[in-house]
Formats: sequence, C-alpha cells, structure tokens
Amino acid sequence: MTHLDSDPDRFTATLDDREDHAPGDEPREAAGHWVRNANTGLAFSIVLTAAAFALTIWPVVYGPAIPVALVVLAIGQMGVHLVFFLHITTGPDNTNNVLALAFGILVVFLIVVGSIWIMDHLSYNMMPMDQTMQMQR
Amino acid sequence: MFGKLSLSAIPWSQPIPLITSFIIILILLGVLVLVTVKGWWPYLWREWITSVDHKRIGVMYCLLGVVMLIRGFADAIMMRSQQALAIDAPGYLPPEHYNQVFSAHGTIMILFGAMPLVLGLMNFVVPLQLGVRDVAFPTFNSVGFWLTASAALLVNVSLFVGEFARTGWLPYPPLSETTYSPGVGVDYYLWAVQISGIGTLITGINIVTTVLKMRCHGMSYLRMPIFCWTALASCLLIVAAFPILTATLAMLTLDRYLGWHYFTNTAGGNPMMFVNLVWAWGHPEVYILVLPAFGVFSEIFPTFSGKPLFGYRSMVVATLFICIVSMMVWLHHFFTMGAGAAVNTFFGISSSIIAVGTGVKIYNWIFTMYGGRVRFEVPMLWSMGFIFTFIIGGLTGVLLAVPPADFLTHNSMFLVAHFHNVIIGAVVFAIFAALEYWFPKAFGFRLDGRWGTAAFWFAFVGFWVTFAPLYMLGLGGMTRRLQHINFPEWAPWLYVSAAGVVILILGVISQVLELVLSIRNRDRLRDITGDPWDGRSLEWSTPSPPPFFNFAVMPNVEGEEAYWGIKLRAIETQQLSPEPNYQPIEMPLDSPVGFYTAFFSFVFGFAMIWYIWWLAIAALVAAFAGFVVFAWRDEHEFEVSADEVARADRARREARTAILARLSQQGAAP
Amino acid sequence: MTDTGLPASVAALRRIREDPHRLGHRPHDGREPVQGIGMGTTGPAHKRIIVGYGFWIFLLSDIVMFSCFFAAFAVQRNATAGGPTMAEIVDLPRVAIETTALLLSSYTCMLSFAATNARNVLWTQVFLFLTGLLGLVFVLLEAWEFYDLASRGITPQRSGMLTAFFGLVGLHGVHVTAGGLWLATMMAQVLVKGFRRHIIHRLICFNLFWHALDIVWIGIFTVVYLIGSLA
Repeated sequence: MTHLDSDPDRFTATLDDREDHAPGDEPREAAGHWVRNANTGLAFSIVLTAAAFALTIWPVVYGPAIPVALVVLAIGQMGVHLVFFLHITTGPDNTNNVLALAFGILVVFLIVVGSIWIMDHLSYNMMPMDQTMQMQR
Repeated sequence: MFGKLSLSAIPWSQPIPLITSFIIILILLGVLVLVTVKGWWPYLWREWITSVDHKRIGVMYCLLGVVMLIRGFADAIMMRSQQALAIDAPGYLPPEHYNQVFSAHGTIMILFGAMPLVLGLMNFVVPLQLGVRDVAFPTFNSVGFWLTASAALLVNVSLFVGEFARTGWLPYPPLSETTYSPGVGVDYYLWAVQISGIGTLITGINIVTTVLKMRCHGMSYLRMPIFCWTALASCLLIVAAFPILTATLAMLTLDRYLGWHYFTNTAGGNPMMFVNLVWAWGHPEVYILVLPAFGVFSEIFPTFSGKPLFGYRSMVVATLFICIVSMMVWLHHFFTMGAGAAVNTFFGISSSIIAVGTGVKIYNWIFTMYGGRVRFEVPMLWSMGFIFTFIIGGLTGVLLAVPPADFLTHNSMFLVAHFHNVIIGAVVFAIFAALEYWFPKAFGFRLDGRWGTAAFWFAFVGFWVTFAPLYMLGLGGMTRRLQHINFPEWAPWLYVSAAGVVILILGVISQVLELVLSIRNRDRLRDITGDPWDGRSLEWSTPSPPPFFNFAVMPNVEGEEAYWGIKLRAIETQQLSPEPNYQPIEMPLDSPVGFYTAFFSFVFGFAMIWYIWWLAIAALVAAFAGFVVFAWRDEHEFEVSADEVARADRARREARTAILARLSQQGAAP
Repeated sequence: MTDTGLPASVAALRRIREDPHRLGHRPHDGREPVQGIGMGTTGPAHKRIIVGYGFWIFLLSDIVMFSCFFAAFAVQRNATAGGPTMAEIVDLPRVAIETTALLLSSYTCMLSFAATNARNVLWTQVFLFLTGLLGLVFVLLEAWEFYDLASRGITPQRSGMLTAFFGLVGLHGVHVTAGGLWLATMMAQVLVKGFRRHIIHRLICFNLFWHALDIVWIGIFTVVYLIGSLA
C-alpha cells in the first residue's frame, strides 16, 4: 500500500509538491524566482523606509496626521516583508501559515491596544484632583 | 564567592520547614540509595531519562504533577488548619511563614501540579489518537519536560535554602519589588516560573504542529477526536499567552536585579501595568488548563454511554470560540483596580459571553448520555461529579463577571471558593478521570475500581464540605489570605471547612492505596485486549502498553471515531483486516540533551537567585555548549526492521483474533 | 459533471475557495493543488514542512513577547519623571544607518537561501557572511548608542520611559545577537557537513527568524524612534 511510503521521518528526495509549504519555503522554485522576490522586496522596503524618515524630517503632512502616516508606512513595509521575504501567499499551500499569522496578529492587537486602552483609563481615574480640575477648565 | 548564599539561608529557627526539609531529603536520599543498590540506573537512564518517546515523557509529566499536587495539598492543609485555629488566637504559623504557604500553594498547584498533568495527558494521548508515531519534535519534547522538572525542583529547594515569595502566587508590585521584598523569595518564584514557562511553551509548539501537520491518512480535521481539538486550542493559547508571562516576569526581574522602573512606585514605574499584563496571561492560563479537561470528558462520555458524542461540530466550534474569546476577558480579574465603567462593561460582557461556549459543551455531554447505555465506572463517576460541580462553579463565575457584584466579592473568600470550584471540578476531576481511563493503556493493567470509587466519593464530598462554607464566608465579608481571624461569627464555617479537608485527605489516601494495591495485583488486573473500556478512538487499537513505535502501519481513517468503525467491521466479518505489508520504520534516537539542559538551567536559576554570577555564566556556557554538541550529531533516527515491526504486530493480531473468537462464542456476531 | 466526477458547481466552488484572485502561486506542473491542505487526509506532512511550521509558531510566540514590551513602552511613553524625553535622545542618522544595515542583511539572507536552494555552498556562505556582517554593524551601532546615552547619565534606571525604551530596543538587540551566534554556528555546520537535510531545515528556520527580526525592527524604528522624535 503506497501510503506506507510517506512515513514522516523518512527522507524522500522528492518533496511532493502537491503538499503545503512551510512559510518562506517553496523548494521547487528556481533561484531566479527567489532573487526576483528579494529585489522587489528590497526596492519596496527602501522606498517605504525612506518615506518614513523623510516624513519625520520634512513634515509635509498635517502635523497630527504624521504618526498615523508613519504607522501606515510601517504596516505597509511589514506586509512587503511578509509577502516578498517570508513568502506568505494566499494560495492553498499557505493556508495554515496565514491562519497562524492571523491568530498572532489578533493576539498582538489585543495586547497592545487592550493594554493602552485599559492603562489610559486607569491613569485618568488615578489622576490627582488638581490635575483633573485643570483638565476640566 | 557564593553571592548572598550562606549557612544562614537554612531555616534553623523555623521548625516546620526545617523538619519538613529534613524528612524530604531523607526520602530523596533513600530513593537514590535504593535505585543505586538495585542497579536500576542504566535502565532509568536508557528508558526514561534520555527517552524522547512521547508516552514516556507523558508519564513522567504526570508523575511530576501528582507529586507536586500532594505538596500543594500539604500547603492547603496548613492553610485551612491555621485559619481554623487562629480565631482570636495566633494559630501556629506566623504571618511571614503563612504568606509563603499560600504563595507556594497557588504556584505549585497551578504551575507545577495541574499544568504538568495536563501537558502529560496531551503528550501521551494526542499522537496515539492521531495515529502517528510521536509528536512533531520528540527531542524538544524531552527538553520541555526536563525544564519543567528542574523548575519544580527549584521551587522545592526554596523550602530548605532561603525562603519563598510572600506575595501570593502572582507577585504584584510594588510588594514584589526589592524595596518591599528584599529577600530571595520572589527571585525563587521568578526563575522557577520562567524556566517552567519555557518548558510549557515548548510543549505548546510541539502539539500545535503535531495536530495541524501530522495526522494519519484519512484523518481530516473533522475526523479528529475532540480531545485533539481541545489539545490544539489549549496549545494555541499556550503559544499566545505564555510569552506574555515571560515578558512580564522578565520586566519584574529587570526591576529587581538592575533597578529598572517598569513597575516601581517611583520614577515613572506603573505597578498597575503588571496586574494588566500578568492577567492577560493569567486568564488564558486557566483556559489552557480547562480545555483539555473538557476534552477528556468528551472522550469519556461517549465511551461510557456507548454512543457517539452528541454534536461533534458544535463542540469544535465551541472549543475554538472559547479559545479566541478567552483572550478578550482578562480585565475581570481586576475590575476594582479602577479602569472605569466603559472598560469594565466591555470586559464584563465578554466574560459573560464566554460562558456560552461552555454551556454548549455541557448540553452536548448530557445529550450524549441520553439514550445511551451508561456504565458507571470510575471515569464516568468523575465525569458526572464534574457536571454537577462545574455548573455551580461556572454560575458563580458568571456572577463574578458582573462588575458591580464583583466590587463586593473581589478578593473575598467567595472568589476563592469560585476558582477552586471550577479548577477542582473541571481540571482535577478530569485529571483523575483521565488517569483512571488511560492508565491501562500506559501500563498494561487497570486500576482497582473499588478504591477508585472510594477516592471519587471522598473527593466529591470532601470538596463540597471544604469549599461551600467559603462561599458563605465570602458573602459574609471575609477576605482571602487571612492569617488570623478577628470575627468569631466566622468560626463555624471555618471548622466545617477544616473538617472537609479531613475528608479530602481520606480521598488522597484512597488514591494512593488504589495505585499501590493495583500495582501489587497487576496480574489480576492485566489488560490483555488493549481495549478495556470498549473505546472508540485509535489509541484503543494498540496493545497495552503500545510498542514504542505505536502503530506497525499507520492507520487509514475513514470516518469519525476511527477505531469504532474498524472494531464493528471486525466483529461483523468475524476477522481482522488482512495482514499489512510490514515496512521498516524510522524512529528518533534518544538523547540526554533534555536532562543536560535542564540540569544547567537549575544551576543557572539557583546561581541567579543567590547572586553567584560566575556560576550563572558558567551554567549558561555549559548549556549552550551542550546544545552545539547535540546539534552536531549526524544520526537523528534509527531504523526499526520490518521483522521487529511484524513480530510486535503479529502478537497484537493474535490477541485480537482470540478476543474475536471469544466474542463470537458469546454470541456477539450479528 | 467534471472529470473528477463532481458536479460542476462543487468544482467551481473549490476553484474559488482555493484562490479567488489568483494571488497565490499556481500549482507547479499545472496540476490541481490537492484538497488535502488544511483538510489533510493525505497523512503526515514532510519533515521539512513540519520543522518550518513549528518554527513559524515559535516566531509568533516571540512576536507576542515583543508586543508586551511594545505595550509597556506605549503605556510609559510619557513617564519621564523629570528626565529626558524620547525627542531628546533620538539620533536619527544613526537609526537610519541601523535600519539600512538590517534591511540589507534581510536581503542578503534571502539571497543565501536562494543559493541554498540551488545547492551552491560558496554563495550560501558568502551571503550568510554578509548577513552576519551587516547584523554585526547593527548591533555595534546600537551598543554605541547605549554607551553614548549612558555616558550622558541617560540610563534605564532614570525613568519608566527610559526603562521601557532600553527594554524594548535591548530585547531586539539581544535577539539579533543570538541570531548572529546561530548564524555563525550554521556557517560552521554548512562548512563541515554540507547541505544535509536537517541543515537545510535549520537554514529555513534561520531565514524565518532573521526576517521576523527585521519586521520587529520596522515596528521599533517607527514607533519608538520616528514617532518618539516628533513630540
């Protein structure tokens, strides 16, 4: 029976390319594919990084919007890294990887946003009386 | 040279820890001498200490957990008796000692008792249920176990060298900062919990990868046993939540060792941030414990009702629902810290909603029993005790989820009663049910059902007699962690509770007797079939105990309840499936790297606690060197010949054919 | 009915569910991707996938740990206790060089993996060496930054904000250093053992790790340095 051959610890020289892939891995691709990905990723990243630094030094955007713009650029660049360097795609061979990533992002969001929300409320409620009065003026 | 360590670290002036340590050291030495005299060291080293077999590691985890449960229970006895004796009286435990007792009790019970037991059960059962030979990373598994064991050793060493934390099982700052806890107690806690946290994270990664990427042929997600689903959900929570604990304890460690200001009272530190972060871990932690417990019951109810589990898909949905929502409720542990109405409302609602998932599960279990032929064996007794106990505990939890009610009951004995209600009712009952259920699979003989039944009844009655009064005390205004009691009107409840502890002690004795007598009578209790409970999942298709490679050929699954279909077909056709074509198998090599790493982790932790810097650096270097040496090995696996596989499997097939013949004689054929 | 014997609607649904916008990679050799992915009826995955996925899960746990340090920084961003603020300690040119170094090291890391897939030992080692070199530049610059600050009395013991700053940036630096040690070990292993199966598995893991570190750095330089310098 053929299913005995895919005992997981056995080294098979031919990785069945119908299986799914580890993140960042696509063993059947030629080297040129990797280099193209790397070059594209690097180009995008350089542009996004330069834009972020430039925005800080020359504030061409409405002042309070700068942090938001920087965060957007950062998220964009993280996406570039994920797609081009880490090779996370939406193909069926990557479903598990994407789901795990989504779970991780959810947890990070809950911790960071949740903590900021909670701690800001706490610090407002813990503020000494005179500072509260100042805020109300 | 020895940092802060000196002979005065031994508690010469405190009789209780001194005498206890002395006795424990004597017992340990006795065990070591016995093993040496009997020449068991080669066997132990080869078969257990360096083993990467998930079954062996699972058994060792469970053994560690049981021993630590007993230590935690001893702390509990001390606490209940102190409160019963200290009504307008000093009692026998001075406050600085009592504070260490309740801190140790919580830490040990949760992190070194319940967690290892749950991890051990998952380790043992999941690969067998998935039809594979081991977890994804067997050597890593060994590392994880030994790290947990070395951390447990570190906590216990605090009994006779130094002191333990006095802060409670979660060391809130500013009390846990060096200003107010200058001793080594909090440091013992920090290093022990950090090391065991790494061990737990390793198991979490292992099991997530195993469940998602290593299932036997034909076993799609929706054909997995529910225990594997709950193991997956629990380990996803481990991967998501334990890093929070690592980070938070690291921050506290930096505060204590380097004078940083994460959580200090001064210079911009924020003690409330510790509470926030540690409960962002702490709440998922209790779901990490309870989800596998639910999984255990999802195995036991169908087996002992003779019916498939009711509502498989809704169980899966409920499990994943609980997994995700458990990361959104953590503030209910500190409603009273002052985040205000908006924040409290959000978390109050989410905490109430999460009960829906559990409700779905309970209905499914009850409907599983309905219409079935229920057999009241010991695992089923624990399960029914769970249903009753956990429903009440869960209801008190939903009460606590309402912020205004929580303002009255926060940190009172009501809270204490609630969390013991749910943890004991779900996790402890599940552990004992699971130990009884899977013990024959692990060791080849059953446990004595009579002593098991006695243990259950003592535990069940003892639990309610101990903890029901605590609900009353909480509503009456008693806060937790009191070393002396100034209100004589609380006395009757405290006496009843102490009496309940006596009943629980009888339960523990019954459990121990059950084990000892079953070992003595193991030939009479032998499990010949490998399927003592008429099971429905794949682990029951293996002999008891299974061969080290689990399955001679990997099964091919065609539906839910993989083994049930195979069994029914065999009984119908009066024969086993045809003998397969045996192939050689590759199995992972055993390795001492787990034990070695853990040994140096223990040395490192001890050195850091006592400020012996040269020893800490040496231990780190030695651990890293060990890793490099291990990483350099060329052989990772060894081959098991087709003959050996065939021999083991033919023995199994013979035993099963004999059972079929006996069954047909008894008229089991259609 | 299609040639798989299923009704056309089911086959159509499956095509859509697989990849509605064709963003992912087409199956190699033009064959249908097997429906076993995620529904896994095809048995255990190959060891290469198991190792890579396990490490991916570990990386997610590491990201969660970083997010706690991020959260602490966000909460304590204004807790300067009368000491220096972020705007007063940010050195943008140095951060720009650090960022460039780490980004380029990610690039060379990818190239080394391309070389590994082509089973070219020389180029693998060359690019791994470059990766390590750039990583070393990063770490040294960061150490110099910390030394500079400390010599001006700006230490983590000064205030909550500085504690959170040094903690987050320092944690990242510790990870890069550990990655560097790992890199050196990998180079030695490739030198001695060549491209054995488990060496390649470890290189996959190293790749994931190094790229993840750059992703974390994007978060750090944006939130801590750039946004911090604005105030």
